[in-house]
Order: sequence, then structure tokens, then C-alpha cells
Amino acid sequence: MSVVARSWGHLTPAGKVVVPLLGIVLALGLVAFLGIVTGILPAIGDTVVLTGRRNVGIVRFLVAATAALLASVPIAFINIYLEMKLLAWIALRRGPNRVGPFGTLQSVAHGFKVLAKEDFTPTGADRAVFTIAPVVTFLSVVLAFMVVPFAPGIVGVDMNIAVLFFFAIGGLTVVGLLAGGWASFNKYSLLGGLRSAAQIISYEIPLTLSVVGVVMLAGTMSLHGIVEAQAGHFWNWFVFQQPLGFLVFFLAGTAEGNRTPFDLTEADSEIVAGFATEYSGMRYGFFYFAEYVNLFILSAVTAILFFGGWSAPVEIHQLAAWLGVAVPSFAIDPSQLGIGLLFLLALGPALGTVLCAIPVALLRTDWSLRRALAVGFVLFNVVAGGLVIAWAYLASEVVAGLFWFLGKTFFFVFVFVWMRATLPRVRIDQLMGFAWKWLLPASLFNIFATAAAIVLVNR
Amino acid sequence: MTRTVSRDDPRVLLESPATIYDAIPPYPPRSEREAEFYALRDGEMLVNLGPQHPSTHGVLRVVLKIDGEQVVDLDPVLGYLHRGIEKLAENADYHQAICYTDPLEYVSSLFNELAPVMAFEKLVEIEVPRRAEYIRILSCELLRIASHGLFTGWLALDLGGYAPILYGFIERDEIVEMLAALTGQRMLFNYMRIGGVNGDLNHEFMSRLGEWMSRAAREIAANQTLLNENEIFVRRTRGLGVIDRETALRLCLTGPALRATGVPYDIRRAHPYSVYPELEFDIPTRDEGDSYARYLLRLDEVKQSLRIIDQCLEQMPDGPCMAKIPRLIRPRPGRAFAAIESPRGQYACYAISDGTDQPFRFRIHDPSFVNLQSVGVLVPGNLIADTMAIMASLDPIMGGVDK
Repeated sequence: MSVVARSWGHLTPAGKVVVPLLGIVLALGLVAFLGIVTGILPAIGDTVVLTGRRNVGIVRFLVAATAALLASVPIAFINIYLEMKLLAWIALRRGPNRVGPFGTLQSVAHGFKVLAKEDFTPTGADRAVFTIAPVVTFLSVVLAFMVVPFAPGIVGVDMNIAVLFFFAIGGLTVVGLLAGGWASFNKYSLLGGLRSAAQIISYEIPLTLSVVGVVMLAGTMSLHGIVEAQAGHFWNWFVFQQPLGFLVFFLAGTAEGNRTPFDLTEADSEIVAGFATEYSGMRYGFFYFAEYVNLFILSAVTAILFFGGWSAPVEIHQLAAWLGVAVPSFAIDPSQLGIGLLFLLALGPALGTVLCAIPVALLRTDWSLRRALAVGFVLFNVVAGGLVIAWAYLASEVVAGLFWFLGKTFFFVFVFVWMRATLPRVRIDQLMGFAWKWLLPASLFNIFATAAAIVLVNR
Repeated sequence: MTRTVSRDDPRVLLESPATIYDAIPPYPPRSEREAEFYALRDGEMLVNLGPQHPSTHGVLRVVLKIDGEQVVDLDPVLGYLHRGIEKLAENADYHQAICYTDPLEYVSSLFNELAPVMAFEKLVEIEVPRRAEYIRILSCELLRIASHGLFTGWLALDLGGYAPILYGFIERDEIVEMLAALTGQRMLFNYMRIGGVNGDLNHEFMSRLGEWMSRAAREIAANQTLLNENEIFVRRTRGLGVIDRETALRLCLTGPALRATGVPYDIRRAHPYSVYPELEFDIPTRDEGDSYARYLLRLDEVKQSLRIIDQCLEQMPDGPCMAKIPRLIRPRPGRAFAAIESPRGQYACYAISDGTDQPFRFRIHDPSFVNLQSVGVLVPGNLIADTMAIMASLDPIMGGVDK
């Protein structure tokens, strides 16, 4: 035993990761070998495939749920980093700049920090509810995330009632917040939980009603269908037909996502982070993640419902037709290239590097040849990367869709962060008054006006 | 070995978790007021605001009696930052006593030194060189601008606004760096001396000051646009925490809190000291008496301070910046009182000499403490969120309240 312990102590940190991994891989290999030889594994595989074929829906759902869970983590990281950096710039600070290039890994470091922290349960707390509350909040956000379409075909579950599902599941976050506030055995948390219940339920109504106009115009509740109804040019986007609906949706969404100026549930200067006061470690991390994934979802749904989702402001083929230019077809079939593909892959970079290095070497005669070649290599990579991205954009509507969708979404993320940096918080009576006196009548009027317009136009 | 613990021992309370976080003290009520305060009606709840709370500006503890979101009653509990500064100063000689006063109102330390120094000068009966007087006023007014800039940020932070505090700190940092060039310290300057100041104006200070003055008015005005017409900010502060003239006078409020009710009482004009009679400036007042008025009033005061600094630089006489003072001061037995206008109101020092080299009694009158007592009138009936806005608009510094 002591030999093992001593050898373990001699290992570097990287070795401590690699050695157990090697062991696991060896063990798995042995199991696989034995399984294949005895014919057990193929039998199990056949059964799994058959069961899967019979239940495609369930398999697809499981895959989509896993993908949404996995994707939510990097999205939360990106949003946290963006928020830190943008808040810093608006406040004339530098922001995170230590971990990773430009501090981009700062939020990953934050993730490890919450993992390593003590998971503390206060005396007198209701342990079961205290533990389950962050999970409820996080899961409801991830479930809502599943119906968000990124690009044509890139969606967790393409539901025909996606809009309804989104609001129904998104409203479940309040259960987690209220439970967490109640179970913490802290008066501030209780106040925060009750505030979140009052706020989120009040704003749920105008939020849902503001979308009814969009649903009427598109004639479908599927987010896919709503995006397709706005395809073409940017004046087809519903924001121009539903400006009031967009305003109500955006404001109510801000309150729904607990963002400034409606962040009363976690008002740190009043009720000390509200429902999250007593949370620490990864339980707090779940609340934190849920909030930032929710921020992304809100921005994404705003982009989908009112700004055409993944559709470009002007279709490139349409633009080309106006200008009288033909967009060249970029469909490259690698199998047709044969030996040419090999040459392209092998000689292309070398040739490109030399080509890019020649002007550098001519311009900077004081540089050594090797340095010019290095700069040429970087230049070639930039140029080639740009070309590949441009080709992908033109050839694949998924890439083009992702480009526009993420661009619009992160624009709204920026707007949310901008609001947080600029505005103070409203008071609870002003908040409730705003929802019931302004947003609700406005959204009802919007439904009425839209319905009347549709009837008049169709007559 | 078992140890018997008495019932008053706080460790006894740890046995039952339900009472740990209770705001109700474990002893029977000591006064009628206490009995009334801790008797809860149906639906009422006690919440400890502080001593560790992000927006109590230090370690103030306020027991709030709330009904839902509404504050029914409150009970401030002081003393968490008591350091016995007055007593410490009584055990030091007159020169040493000055440096104890620095950490009282720690965002405006020069004012803390000025009042005791003036009181001691009255005891010793010495004439201060005019150049020293001008330098004192110059540096104090600079610090007043820094303090008011920080107040703006704090008020916004307590209302949930995030950026103004950082802009306020930029403003303050430039001034503090300037004063560091003059005094050698950034926060607790220890610059005033009995009979003058600790160092003459130097080149670095003057060049920094000149460079800053050339853009100060513009930058301060730009910072103020962050909040002045912000709809949410105005709606949250206008008509909030209104105090009328009579109540303000009855509670002995001073400084911006009093002037916001329309009383033009400023020690600099009411009981002029130092070289203020020779300087030209206005006493801004407002009539509304609410949080927004207190905020706007401070912005006006910053403009007046800039005027004063300009005049100080123009009229700065030549000469020594320190009178001839013995190493050890033994004033004749007697008493002296000196009051100045600090950024928060009347800051005064009362000193009694018994003929030895140490003050027999050294007493500080602090405006934060006096102004803070008005929360009992202002807060009840408002919401929890407004408690912060009202307290922040009074701008108490707990270092000064608890001494």
C-alpha cells in the first residue's frame, strides 16, 4: 500500500489525471474485448438499437435534454464573462483580464470556485427543500432552453406548441426561488422568495399576452413556424407589425428574468441577495447558472419572436438578384476531387504561407526570413479561416442561420447588461403598478388591435 | 469536567436554533419604549438590518419592524464601531490628540482635524498665519467635493444603480491623490497642526490641482447627468423621506439635511471661521426637504466649493504656513469650543484644559450622529427599499456616529 501511496505522491498533477484514465481505458477495453468475443455486447447493442427504433421520440428527447444540459454550461460562462467585461467597460474599469486571453476563462474559474466552496446548510433550514430548490430552478430553465431553435433544424425539440411550453416551463422557475427563499430560514430570503412570487407571476400575464399578436400573425405556436413566417427581408420581422407587443414583451421579460431595473428578488442593497442569501457552493452556482441561461433564452426568444430568428436582414440571393450578380455555387463535393484533395490539404498551407510571407518579407527587410514566414503563416490562417467561414456561410443555411441568430441574441444580451449598468432599481409598488396598470392593458390592446387588423386585411 | 453556564450566557441560546436569529433581546424589556417595540402585532416581523449589511454604510444595526414590505417602526442600535477616540485623545498631549480624530468621519478626515485644531488654538491663544488658513480652506473644500461625489455614488448604489459609485470614486481618487501629494497620506491625512498646517503647497500638488481644475466643472457636471434626470431615480427619491422645517430644527439637523428644508444655516456664514468672511460663495437651499432635494443640494454645494477653491488660489498670500509653537503645549486652564461646516453638517469640538499637557475633556459633536436620529421620523410608513434611500440621503458615516 505504501508503495502505491509513494508512487502516487511522486506523480505530477497531469500524471494524477492520466494514470487513472489509462487504468479506466484499459479496463473498459478488456470488458469490450470479452463482451465482443462472447457475443454479449452485440446482443445488447441490437436490443438497444431495436428499442431505440421503436421509441425514436424518447431517444430524441433524451439526446436533446442532454445536449441542452451540456450546452447551458458554456452559454452561462459566455454570458457571465460578457456581463463582467461590459459592466467593467461601462464603469471605466478593465474587467477580468487575468485568466485566459482577455480574461475569457474567468467565468470558468468562477465555476471551479463555486464547485470547491463549502456547501453550507444553515441551522434551522429545511434541508430537503433547501437542496432541491436550485435544481428546480435550473432544470426549468434548461427545459425551456430545449425548445429554442438556433438555426433550421438545430433545435432540441421542435414542438408545435413551443411558445406555450416555453412560458409554462419558464414560469416554473418561481417555484424554485420561492422554495429556496422559504427553506433558507432567513427573513431576507423569505422576503426575496415572496417578492419573486409576486413579481414573476404578475409579469407572466403581460409576457404571455404580448406574444398572442405574434401567434395570430404567424398562425402557429411553433417557434420554427414563427421564424419562417418572418423570412425574407427585415421588414417582414414582427417587430414592425407588433411594436407594442415587442415593448411589452421586452419589459415583462426583463422582470421575468430578474434583471435590472426589475431585479427586486435579489436586490443586494435591500434584502442582501434575497432568496440566495444563505446559498453557497454549487447550490448557489445552480441559481447563478439558471439566471444567465435564462438571460440567453430571453434574448433568444426576443430575437425569434420579433426579429426573425435566424433569417438574415436581407437574403443574399435576393440581394444578388437585385444587383444583377449571380451568387456562385459553392457546393464542393470532396469525393470528386480525388487526389486533388490531398494536394489541397498538403500544399495549400505551404503555398499560402509562402505567398503571404512574400509581401511581409519585402515590406520588412530588417526581419529574418523565418520571422516573415511565421507572420505569413498566421496571415494565411486568417485568410483561409475567413474564406472557409464565408464558404460555409454561403453553402450552408445552418451556418448562416447560426451567425444571424447568435448575433441578434447577443445583441439583446448586451442590451440587458447595458440596462443593468445604467439604471437604478424600481420599488416594489412601482413594479407591481407598472405590470397591472400599464403592461397588462397595453398587451390586451395589442391583441385587440392585431385581431382587428387581421380581420380588416383579410376581408 | 462539566461547566455550568449561566442563563445569560449567549451560548445557552445556541441550543435552540429558533432563537439564534431572533431580533428580540433575551432579557426583559428595560424601558416602556422597548416593551412597546418588541411587542409584535399580528403579521409583524422583526428584521435585523445590519450590522453586516451592504447598504448601512458601515456597521449600523437597525432593527426593523415590518408588516409585509412596509416598515412599521425601527430601532437603530449603535456602537458597533466605537473605538473610544475621545478617551484616547484625553490620554495624549495636544499635538497627538489631533491624529486620533482622523478616523472619525473617514471620508472627510481634514474636517475632523480642523475643528479640534481650532479649539486648541483658542485654548493656547495663538494667531495662525493667513497662508495656513487659506491652505486649510483649500484642502477642506477639495475634500468636500470628494465626499459629495462619493455620496452621489452611494445613494445610487443603495437604489440599485451600479455605475455612479465608480464614477464617484474616480472623482474622489483624483482629489485624494492630489491631497496625498500635499499631505503624504491618501485617507487619514493628519495634516492640520496647532498654529498652521504640516507642509506648504508643493509643486506636484499645484500642478495636479491646476490640471484638475481646468476640467473639474465639466467632469462633475457630466457625472451628475448619470442620475439627475433618470426617471427611475427621480421617481424613487422625489417626495421620499420628507422632513419639514420645524421637525428638522427640533431634531437639530444640520448640513444639507437641514438646508434641504429651506433653512439657510451654514456655519461658514452663520458663525464664520477662518477666512470664509473674505470669500464669496452662496449657501444653496431647497424647500422640498425630500431625498431628491438633499441630493440636488449637494450637487449645488459642489459648485460653490469649486468657486471657493478658485478664490483661495487667487487670494493665496505669501508667508509662513506654520506659527511658532512650543513642542509641548500647556494651555492655561479653560475651555474652548470650535464648530465648522463639514460635508454632513455642524462638526464641533469642545475641549477643556486643566493646565497640563493633555486635554482634560475632549468632546466631538458629530453631524452624522445627529442626522441619523431623524430616521425614526422619516422611515416608518415607507417600504424596506426606501429605508436605504432615506438613510443614504442623510449620508451618515458610522465612524463618526460611533466615535
